[in-house]
Amino acid sequence: MLKLLDVSKSFGEIKAVCNLSLEIKPGEIFGLLGPNGAGKTTTVNMSVGLLKPDSGSIIIGENGSPASAKDRLQIGVATQALAIYEDLSAEENLIFFGKMNGVRGAKLKERVDWALDFVSLDNRRKGKPDEFSGGMKRRLNLACSILHDPDLIFMDEPTVGVDPQTRNTIFEKIKVLNNKGKTIIYITHYMEEAEQLCDRVAVIDNGRVHALDTVDSLIKSHGGKPVVSIRSNGDSESFETDDPLGKLAELKQANVNGRISIDYPNLERVFLNLTGRKLRD
Amino acid sequence: MMQIFTLAAKDIKLMVRDKAGFFFTFIFPIIIAVLFGSVFSSGGGTRTFTVLAVDEDNTGPSAEFLETLNNASEINITKSERTGAEESVRKGKYVAFVALKKGFGEASEKVFFGGPPEIEIGVDPSRKAEAAMLQGILLKYGSERFQNAFSDSDKMHSSVSSAKKSLADDGSLSEPMRNNLDRLYTDLDRFFVKEKELNTEISDESSSSENLGMADVMKPLSINVTDVAREKTGPTNAYYVSFPQGILWGILSVAATFGLSIVIERTRGTMQRLRMAPVSLGHILAGKALACFISIIGVSIILLLLAYIVFKVVPASILMIAMAVTASAVAFTGIMVLLSVLGKTERAVGGVGWSVLLVMSMIGGGMVPLIFMPEWMQRIGAISPIKWAIISLEGALWRNFSLQEMLLPCNILVCTGVITFLLGVVVIRKRELA
Repeated sequence: MLKLLDVSKSFGEIKAVCNLSLEIKPGEIFGLLGPNGAGKTTTVNMSVGLLKPDSGSIIIGENGSPASAKDRLQIGVATQALAIYEDLSAEENLIFFGKMNGVRGAKLKERVDWALDFVSLDNRRKGKPDEFSGGMKRRLNLACSILHDPDLIFMDEPTVGVDPQTRNTIFEKIKVLNNKGKTIIYITHYMEEAEQLCDRVAVIDNGRVHALDTVDSLIKSHGGKPVVSIRSNGDSESFETDDPLGKLAELKQANVNGRISIDYPNLERVFLNLTGRKLRD
Repeated sequence: MMQIFTLAAKDIKLMVRDKAGFFFTFIFPIIIAVLFGSVFSSGGGTRTFTVLAVDEDNTGPSAEFLETLNNASEINITKSERTGAEESVRKGKYVAFVALKKGFGEASEKVFFGGPPEIEIGVDPSRKAEAAMLQGILLKYGSERFQNAFSDSDKMHSSVSSAKKSLADDGSLSEPMRNNLDRLYTDLDRFFVKEKELNTEISDESSSSENLGMADVMKPLSINVTDVAREKTGPTNAYYVSFPQGILWGILSVAATFGLSIVIERTRGTMQRLRMAPVSLGHILAGKALACFISIIGVSIILLLLAYIVFKVVPASILMIAMAVTASAVAFTGIMVLLSVLGKTERAVGGVGWSVLLVMSMIGGGMVPLIFMPEWMQRIGAISPIKWAIISLEGALWRNFSLQEMLLPCNILVCTGVITFLLGVVVIRKRELA
């Protein structure tokens, strides 16, 4: 669905993306996981035609290019910023962005109704975003991105600043879209979200892909072993083990006092092991 | 192409819904036009002001002089007592008071001796200009009174007789001086008696304008003021002058609003969404420019219609006014695009943009008519498109410009629009497509 081949982009002295290659398959939820400044947004901006790569090539679908207006119709982007007009109603926002993406007439009306219903804003269609809650705005932002029925949808940190309920709603919507055959590229620095949603994840830092695989495979290959930790009187001791429950039983038998915890490998550990720093650094 | 119209329609809708923007685009220009029009047209174009008059002499001549002032078109007189007059001027209620001092009447009778009639003017120090005007007005009517005295042979005869009598009583003069003055008065007396006889004969025979009376002989200058009609029709009321200014304020507001809207699109992410749609950056900017252009035309038409319906401002030529409005719209659409790149944030563009527009307006005659500006500033004003927009609008409204005359301001405006638009687009492309 999307191929990036040896793509690089610099801003002056800063190399934002270095020889990055990715291939996203149709119908998958693909995660781009990395801390702020890792090069995720630059990668997205090049993929959707907002930035020209200094070198390398990007292919949309079979043989399309982000530089082509026609090929960009296959793309929808739920931007991190709320890219909606506060003085236009929810319906007017959708009509406007629909028209800008070439949807008109009866098809436009049908898509607007569908999008409002999809994000549960059909009863607020005449309301203006400046009267909406943060979660409602975020849902309208999503609706504006998918109104023209794109096959490839970029979700750039769509849960920033939303409550857990809205976050779950957004996750549900993403899964519904994916079930309809849409390819989702989910950009985040929250490893829990990537673990929960994504079929495959690319761990990205300093403009490079450090690893790319399914979540399980990444954890298996780069996450290390489970860690059993004991904290007592300010001291702590950790044991890496393939059998954390066995280690736990062993510690209980030895009457070890203290707080015992087991940390299973996750994407955070994967990132730490691959880059030497935490995701939130 | 459809996307450009969609973008333009969205921008116009947003502009109309923005309450502050709507006020500055539609209401503020009307206030400016009506306010300036009212100021310029007050008193039918003649400046008048009211002064207090104190008659401390209370004689026939003093009352007569006050009556003359009361009938003057330049000032209004309100009679008052001395104390009340001083108090009113001190409190700023009146510009000045005029006091005819004791002895005004007696001095008026003595044309050839004694001091002149005395008038005191008490002025508000902050109103020097009006005080100077008042002095000029008093001198004018004082001179008229003096001139009228010379035209009255009986009065002059009586005055000379009184002068001769006073001369005889005055012991301060030397003998040779006294003799000289006595000879002069005797000759004058004879002259006025003879002049009266001559005037009587002439009025019996004919009333030929070539026969000169004493009043004419005594005139220091004969000044005739002739109204020379302008080659072109002047404005029939002040709103012809104030509405071009009002329209310009509306245009400036539209340009500022749309310039800011480009930055708002950029900072709030909608520009990014638009650029991801299958439209080019050129389409997006063209949509903005079209919305700005249509809004400027719309604002101009609304203000012109208001001027026509309410203030009877009838354009000299519809074609010329269409040219002026279109050229102004082109100029300020281009300027709008350039304004949008003067900063990267809404605050920067809002601040810098309005500063630039205000300076342009100041030197271009948008705030104060060019005629009131010093010459060097009028020359600098040529760099302001506002000057050319006002000239073109006035040319079409009341200066009765020919097509040839309209071409200069219109061409300057169109060139300004094209150049600023291209400059703005180059900078935006550089920023957006980095």
